[in-house]
Amino acid sequence: MAVSVTVVDDSKISRKMVIRALPPQWNIELTQAENGEEALAAYRDGKAEVMFLDLTMPVMDGYQVLEQLQKEQLNTFVVVVSADIQPEAQARVKKLGAMAFIKKPVKTLDIQNVLHEYGIV
Amino acid sequence: MYCTNTVSFKPASKTTSMSIQPYTEDQNDALQEVVNIAMGQAGDSLARILGHFVGLSVPRIRLVTVEDVIKTVTDMVDENAEISAVRQAFSNALRGEAIVAFAQAGADDLADLMGYDTDLDQSAEQELLLEVSNLLVGAVINGISDTLKTDLSFSAPSLMAQRTPLDQVLVPEQLSWSHALLMEVNFTVEDRDFHCHLLMFMTEGAIDTLRDILDEFMDSI
Repeated sequence: MAVSVTVVDDSKISRKMVIRALPPQWNIELTQAENGEEALAAYRDGKAEVMFLDLTMPVMDGYQVLEQLQKEQLNTFVVVVSADIQPEAQARVKKLGAMAFIKKPVKTLDIQNVLHEYGIV
Repeated sequence: MYCTNTVSFKPASKTTSMSIQPYTEDQNDALQEVVNIAMGQAGDSLARILGHFVGLSVPRIRLVTVEDVIKTVTDMVDENAEISAVRQAFSNALRGEAIVAFAQAGADDLADLMGYDTDLDQSAEQELLLEVSNLLVGAVINGISDTLKTDLSFSAPSLMAQRTPLDQVLVPEQLSWSHALLMEVNFTVEDRDFHCHLLMFMTEGAIDTLRDILDEFMDSI
């Protein structure tokens, strides 16, 4: 069965870079979101078993999405994809429940490693 | 080398360009993302030498004319107090200038953050500003160069202003361009006074070159 995946980023090219790096054999149903509100809406529609989440976005940023997911005890596998690569930023998002952190620009291998590590693909 | 105390760019003259074709939505989106990645790397480098988490603003990118550059820069930097500023030129595939502007309170705090005596004399303070500027500009230029797979190099830093009101740092009459692409990000440290702005200017020729480079970058994805 296809896994629902939502890619959240306000930048179109950035979403494209993530989508391009997903394993080609992975059977997914893909949704794109431009901000945190759209991401939560996608989750509530059952479209985000896995979420690739940018941090810096208008309307609602990635940190706020993580807080909201945590507050409502929502269950989705969040991979943060960020240009802010400071170790402290990585620690903060993991504390907020993100499972993994991937640096921009996204590399295919980084995404594959995370998905393999957690047995998702 | 770069010993003048105002910004000027080569090659350009005020008569060469009537208007600049703005970037498309996709080109702007790609540029925003590239700058975002590059500034993220600069923030990480800064965090490592300061030993503190560095807050990064969302990069602001504007096409400015020489007439409105002062207003745009003062709106972006928004410092009433005097600033110190360091400049570095970059060249090869894209030509332009990077300027790092430090508010005075930030410059004082920088010494403390880096574990130096806070009563630095002027030359020691200069050294520190040059070092931090070089770190930020180096990371940004390398970040842009790596992401766009293009060759960029940068000059050694030089001090362009020390404890000078911001509106006196840039002198429009001495700028040799009519349009520039201005990119700005600011770096802050939580609970501390330190903050600085990184400004990058690319002028007419580079704006067109960058347009082509962005198109190639988008095609490669």
